[in-house]
Amino acid sequence: MGAVDCDTVAAVTEFLYREALALDERRFRDWLALLTDDIRYEVPVRVTRESLADWELSPTSRIFDDDRDTLEVRIQRLETDFSWAEQPPSRTRHFVTNVLADPGEGPDEFRVSSNCFIYRSRGDDPTPSFYSVARKDVVRRTADGWRLARRWAVFDQSLINAHNLSIFV
Amino acid sequence: MTAFNDATGLADWVSRTRAGLTEGRFPARAFNDVDVHALEQERLFAKAWCFLAHESEIPSPGDYVTRKIGNNNLIVARDEHGVIHANLNMCRHRGNVMCKSEMGNASHFRCSYHGWTYKNSGELVGVPYMKEGYEGRLKRKDWGLVAVRVDTYEGLVFGCLDPEGPSLAEYLGGFQFYLDLYLKHGLGGVEVHGPPDHWVADTDWKICAENFAGDGYHTPVAHQWGFHLGYFPSSGTTHSQGWAASIPGKGHGIGLGHGPGYPAFSGFPDQVVAGMKEAMSPEQVAVFSQIRTAVGTVFPNLSFLMQPFSLVPGDPGVRFVTMRLYHPAGPGRMEMYSWCLVPKDAPEDYKAEAYRAYTLAFGQAGTFEQDDFENWTKVTASAGSGLVRDLDFPYIMGMESEPVPEFPGPGHVVRPYVNDTNFRNMWSRWGDYLAGEA
Ligand code: FES
Ligand SMILES: [Fe+2]
Repeated sequence: MGAVDCDTVAAVTEFLYREALALDERRFRDWLALLTDDIRYEVPVRVTRESLADWELSPTSRIFDDDRDTLEVRIQRLETDFSWAEQPPSRTRHFVTNVLADPGEGPDEFRVSSNCFIYRSRGDDPTPSFYSVARKDVVRRTADGWRLARRWAVFDQSLINAHNLSIFV
Repeated sequence: MTAFNDATGLADWVSRTRAGLTEGRFPARAFNDVDVHALEQERLFAKAWCFLAHESEIPSPGDYVTRKIGNNNLIVARDEHGVIHANLNMCRHRGNVMCKSEMGNASHFRCSYHGWTYKNSGELVGVPYMKEGYEGRLKRKDWGLVAVRVDTYEGLVFGCLDPEGPSLAEYLGGFQFYLDLYLKHGLGGVEVHGPPDHWVADTDWKICAENFAGDGYHTPVAHQWGFHLGYFPSSGTTHSQGWAASIPGKGHGIGLGHGPGYPAFSGFPDQVVAGMKEAMSPEQVAVFSQIRTAVGTVFPNLSFLMQPFSLVPGDPGVRFVTMRLYHPAGPGRMEMYSWCLVPKDAPEDYKAEAYRAYTLAFGQAGTFEQDDFENWTKVTASAGSGLVRDLDFPYIMGMESEPVPEFPGPGHVVRPYVNDTNFRNMWSRWGDYLAGEA
């Protein structure tokens, strides 16, 4: 068993499920409310390398590199009538599994790793996009409930098979 | 869409297409067709100078990246003497792939099938059982990796599959003047901020190449949200101001958007502006200091964009440069590479800020790029429709426009920024190649 008690693991897991549900139901304002003010939201670029290479995830290249302000911009954009990439909106389903919680920096912070499988369907296209993603989050207990303080997510593909990424992971 | 009946049918279509261009028409079919794709492989990508890599991606001896020209997979490597080579990523013995990773460092490449070993320059140096098996009949010098012509301009590494044909300088034909806007950000030039975003899309490479050759027309609509949230101090109307510059007979084009009220080189730190003034000619400084957005394509499929952009609407913009390669991966399909270029000598915090501005706006999750790709995939899908067979699109904007007198840059320069002149020039060059006349 890990160093974090079962009740906390259960609470953190439920938090991740609720966060995923907000995204899948496109309640982006509700989703923003689940993030801390100091949120860091990062998705590094993966590069196919030899097994002995010193890195496979680029130390400098990012697909997403957001903070609270820029996530707010992305959501304000989705609220306009001109976010063509999401007109009509993607239908997503985030399947969150393998949740493991470890102690974080303070008594109220936990380092949470999870797998996330995302199904994305667009328009009447019968072929969906699938994304298999590994996440390492920091989840914080606050007076107002659980909040996401950091999301670090990486795609298992290096050449991503979709024309854009207008969704959140 | 039915295929062209035979080669003559396709050749007729190419000559009709070239004739149509002189009247400002271009066929929709060109943007998603099996036969056109095959002809491009054979006559365009086999002959043109195509972008491979930026030198800063392979700074040290032994560094390599794997890239493609047409349907050919290449290893672009810097050898032990610092010379850059491009070789077909295929073992000469039975054709195994030599490098399966996108980048790395190696002094030698050893084939995983029978063990032939090549230097990173492509020279064959090791053959197992050379004496016993080949009995002196195999000459190593005859079986090196297949080399492709390589040349560079200001850090850009290009390759050409055609051993004959013009030099890179001749191919660029004066477009270097405009490329410097993206590349001469100080005497040290620019470097990539990291490996490119890399994704696939059901989009024909030509739609993107055309858009970046100066499609200022789409910005106020396709990227309307940016105006709506207050990212652009210019309105949709003032957005059209500026120039369209193209190099006749070469296919390259750039749109130079000029927003009223923009301070010179706004969004660059002072140090970078000073470096640009040192690295560029006075003519270049005179033109470029006024530019808000510069969006250009090196024919056929390498593009650039530079603009100031802030992380939060209303904040002062940060200039960033993106470079992109639209690799044709099949009819109506491509592999997209997107880099961010930063001035080598700039302060680290500016580089980081410029990169963050780039990621919010471009790359696969970029708020501008997202919408472009949504539009481009739909254009590609439409172009594959059966009814589109004999349909043309209008390319008549700026048909009558006279060159701007005394513009300090080379080529054919017209006003306003919203103009089809660059596109007619581009598709006319494309027609030359497809007709076998380039
Ligand atoms: S295929 Fe490379 S050594 Fe045989
Ligand atoms: Fe665009």
